[in-house]
This record gives sequence, C-alpha cells and structure tokens, in this order.
Amino acid sequence: MNPEDRIKGLISTSDVVTGPETDTRILGEALERLNLGQKKTPLACPEPNIWRSIIKSRTMRFATVTVVTGLMLFTYVFVSTPKSVVLAGVLEKVEQAQAYKYKMNMTFTERTNPEKPMVQRIEGMITFSDEYGTKLETCEKWEADKNSDTGKVTTKIRYRLPKRRLDVLIKPDQKKYRWTKLDDDSTAEEKEHNDPREMIKQMLHCEYTNLSRSVINGIEAEGFETTDPKWTVGMTEHFEGVRVKLWVDAETWLPVFWETDMRINEQMSLRTVFYDFQWDIPVAASDFQPVIPSDYTSMDNYALPSMFEEEALKGLRFSVEIFGRYPEKIDQTSLASDPYFLRNKENLTDAGLKLKEELESLAPEQSMQKAMELSEIVQSIGVFYELLVKAGRDPAYYGQTVGPEDIDKVLLRWKQDNGHYRVTFGDLSARTVTPEKLAELEAALPK
Amino acid sequence: MEDKLLVLRCKRGRADALGRIYEKYKKDLLVLAMALLNDTSAAEDVVHDVFVSFVRSIEKFRLTGSLKGFLLTCTANRARNVNKAKCRQGVGLDSVEAVDSRSDDPPCSIVCNEQLGQLSRAMAELAYEQREVIMLHFQAGMTFKTIAKSLGISVNTAKSRYRYGLDKLRLLLDHEVEE
Repeated sequence: MNPEDRIKGLISTSDVVTGPETDTRILGEALERLNLGQKKTPLACPEPNIWRSIIKSRTMRFATVTVVTGLMLFTYVFVSTPKSVVLAGVLEKVEQAQAYKYKMNMTFTERTNPEKPMVQRIEGMITFSDEYGTKLETCEKWEADKNSDTGKVTTKIRYRLPKRRLDVLIKPDQKKYRWTKLDDDSTAEEKEHNDPREMIKQMLHCEYTNLSRSVINGIEAEGFETTDPKWTVGMTEHFEGVRVKLWVDAETWLPVFWETDMRINEQMSLRTVFYDFQWDIPVAASDFQPVIPSDYTSMDNYALPSMFEEEALKGLRFSVEIFGRYPEKIDQTSLASDPYFLRNKENLTDAGLKLKEELESLAPEQSMQKAMELSEIVQSIGVFYELLVKAGRDPAYYGQTVGPEDIDKVLLRWKQDNGHYRVTFGDLSARTVTPEKLAELEAALPK
Repeated sequence: MEDKLLVLRCKRGRADALGRIYEKYKKDLLVLAMALLNDTSAAEDVVHDVFVSFVRSIEKFRLTGSLKGFLLTCTANRARNVNKAKCRQGVGLDSVEAVDSRSDDPPCSIVCNEQLGQLSRAMAELAYEQREVIMLHFQAGMTFKTIAKSLGISVNTAKSRYRYGLDKLRLLLDHEVEE
C-alpha cells in the first residue's frame, strides 16, 4: 500500500468519542451565545457574566446585567487627579487585599401591573481571590411573581476559576451541575469586571459628595455618595435615577457597606446592597474547588435527548393540529424545510385550512418565510429521531399505523441510559417501560 | 442543502440546529485538531473556539461553499494560532505527549481510538507546516491551490511540504509497524 493510501486509511478510521460533559464543554458556550442572540437581550457586556447567573427573570437579568456589568465595564484609566484623597486612599487600601468576602442583597421590583407587582430578592455571599477566582453562593427568592413562582427559592453555587478556565455552576436543590469552559476573552473580562473594586474606581470618575460620619453596623464610618449620571456610563439602558452610597470604616478606610439604588423607569427599580465585607482574608485552593456529590447529574442541556424530545412532541402535536395525523415518515428528507408548506396539501383540518389561508394572504416572500418556519416545527421530529439514531438509542417510529386516537399504542420509542425504553403513545403521553413491556406493546401494534 | 438549512436555523437562534452541526462534524474537527496538535485538551479548546466564533459571526455568515470545509479551515487556523502561541512560550507541541484530562480538570475529555493515536503521534514528528498541508489535503479534501491560498504560500511550496511530510510519515509508520 502506498503512503498516501495508508494515511488516508488512517485518517478515515481515526475516531474520537466524546461524552455528554465533553460535548457540553465544547458546545455549551456557543449554545449559550446563540440563545442570548435569539432572545436579543441587550447586554452591556457581550461575554457571559457571573452576575447573570444569579438572576432568573429575563427582565431582572436584563436590568441587573445592565447595571452590574455596566458598573464594572468602566475601564479605569489614571487620567485625572482624584477628586478626593480619601476615596483614592480607599481604593489604594482595597487594592492591597488579595482576597475578600462580602454579602450581597439584591432586590428587583417591577410594577408594570400595579395589582401584581413582581419582586425578586437575591441574597448571596461572594468570595473573591486574585489567586483562585470567585465563588458565589446565592439564594434567590420570588417574593411576588406574576407567573405563579411566588415563594419559590433557588440556591446556586457558582465558581469562576480563570486560571483553570472553568465556570462551574451547582444547583443543590436540583442536584445538578454544569462545567463551562471559559475562553481567553471571558477569563480576562471576568478578572476585570467582577471585582467590586472597579466600582470604587468608577466613583472616582463621578461627581460625589462626602457624607457626614455615621455608625454603620456598629462601625464608625465615613460615607460617599453620588447621583452622577456618569455612573451609568457603559450601560445600554437609560436610567432615570441613580443613587450610590459607599460607607468606609473611618479607621481602616476599607468599605463596610455599599448601597446602590437604580430606577430604570417608573415601574422598575433595583436595589443592591453589599455588606459584611471581610478584607484580605486567608483563602485556600480548597475553598475554590467545586465539590460535586456523586448523585448530582450534569445539566447537559444540549446533549440530552430530553431537550429535543420536547421539541419533537411539539412537532407531532402541530402535525395533528393541521393534518389530523402524524407524519408517516420522519426522516430528514421527508421532513425537509419547505417554503411551500401547506400549499398543495389536502385533507387539512380546520386549523390547517385557516393556516393555509393565512399563508396565502401574505406577500410571497413573507409567505415563504412563514411556511419555512412552520415546516421547521414539524421537522423537529426528524431532528430528534436522527439524534436518537446517531446516539445508538434504538429508536422506532410507527406514524404510518398509529394515530392520535391510539392512546395505548406505541408511536415512538427510544432506549434510555438505564436500558429501559421511553415510549410515546398515540395520544402523545409518555412512559418509561422495561424492554419486556415494550416487546408486549409492540406485539400489539397493527401489522 | 441540509447544511444551508442548518445555518439558516442557527441564524434564527435554533439550538437544535447548532447541535446538529456539531454532531455532524465534531469528529472531523476533533480528528483534525488532534492530528495537528497531538493534545486532547488543546484539540477540545480549538473546536470549542471554532463554534463560539461561528455563533459570534452567525448573523453575517453566508455559506458559499461546504460547511464542513469552512469549519475544518477554521479549525486549522485556530490550531495554527495555538501552535504559534505554544512556540512563543517555548513549548513546542512536537514535544508534548498526548494528554488526557488531569485530575483537577473536568472529569471527562475526548477519547481517541488507536488509529487516531497512531496518526497524531506520527504527525507530531513532522514539521507543523507539513502536518497542516497533509491534513487539509486528505481530511478537508482541499486542493493544493486552495491550501496555498489559505496559508498564503505558493502551490509548489504546498506540494513540497506535502511530499516531504508524506515521505517522513511513511518511514515513521513503517518503523512503527516493525516495532
């Protein structure tokens, strides 16, 4: 065999195996970015930010990310003489700290609907180390929520470990975790932007006033306050009002309390408090070593078939809604995106006919665009099936003989990790069954 | 056609489309990165960066040729940068053994089969420029003209890198068989 053929042979037989966790590490960030792009959330910072992880609602996330990353995005340049020797002295003190810890309390209130205000409160503890990274422990609580999440509490532990280029999120409530690889950009930004010391730097660039001495949590403190709109420099959102107060220990010149009130508009406001600061504390590598109990499972939101199963069920449901039946074949060719979706179709349901009329009433380009989108809903069944085939999940589909009325007949099945089978019945209900039970169910299928 | 649809769906923010692209081409990309870098962790990083970069530019992205070719070229470009960076740091990849995950790294990493191990070990003995041309020609199916254009070298240079690399590979593989 000549060398060319040998190399070709070697290349063609070369193979790699990736587990779900590796897939998530490789693709997770890209998926996250794609998702952010789809939601078109106007982030002040294009990179994933630790603060985003503590916010559940999109509104809250938007507001907080805008505020916090905006605060921290400000690039510090030593261009002007500090306006106050005292505040500059605070910065100098703070910058000497290699590691510190503080607590956080964040409250977001939205009163778009005065009868149903939305209040989310987040309490947390942040440990920061120049050497190891950041550890963020939070407890999020919906005190009032229009989406019936009132009272819901979620705890999270997040590690940002720039030297190891890792972001690890652990959700003890759900016994889940996720590793995400950090690239150079996000690692660098993390170093710059998630350090509250940046906020002091920013204050130095604003007009601020000295507050009279006061006792804060038993400590005699001197305060600084700014309402300067420059505080919001770098934020994408317009803020109607901002008030920032920093209290520092009159003796040590280290911050003891920080409060920020931001008003986005008449209905939305965000209050953030940092307190219980512990400066220059000893930390160990083990403090920043994620501990994941063995019974926790990966939040493998890409590779797990379940994510696609949901999309596939939507596709099957939609198919019944407009055609009154399931697709006979679900290979990619049969379900390819179709710009003429519904155009020549017959035997449509009332909903299908209505949709067809709607498409016909649109301008040609819009109609094709809409048709493509609709056909993609059905296509998601094929995507799911192909994923199952590639993953060796032993899938089978019986759309040719099983219809929506067949509540006890197997429409689709695939094998799970534990050797059992996930079965979707004609009515789209789903159950996990043993291989023996599956054999019994499939024996009862129409021939 | 399918790739065009997948790209179109990615543009609309469909995670499943990106997942399909990854499933479809991950093996090719990882094999190429492994053959060029002989380092599982670096190969994983490179493919990670390729997909992040792909999503970053998805709005402006226009698929004019093959998606596989595009992704393979991106992988080769990224791998070249990694190699340059390592060389600047004085750590030639040629001297780096293929490494699986360390104990303080994420628990799993890519696992290469025997053939890929053999290929990447042999490739590591070649000059990086030779590996690059051989892999782009064999795996990405690129012509020497395209490779030359992509690397900013003449077609003859691309061909000679390929030929010298292949000769050395033959000796290396023969030697491996004898052993």
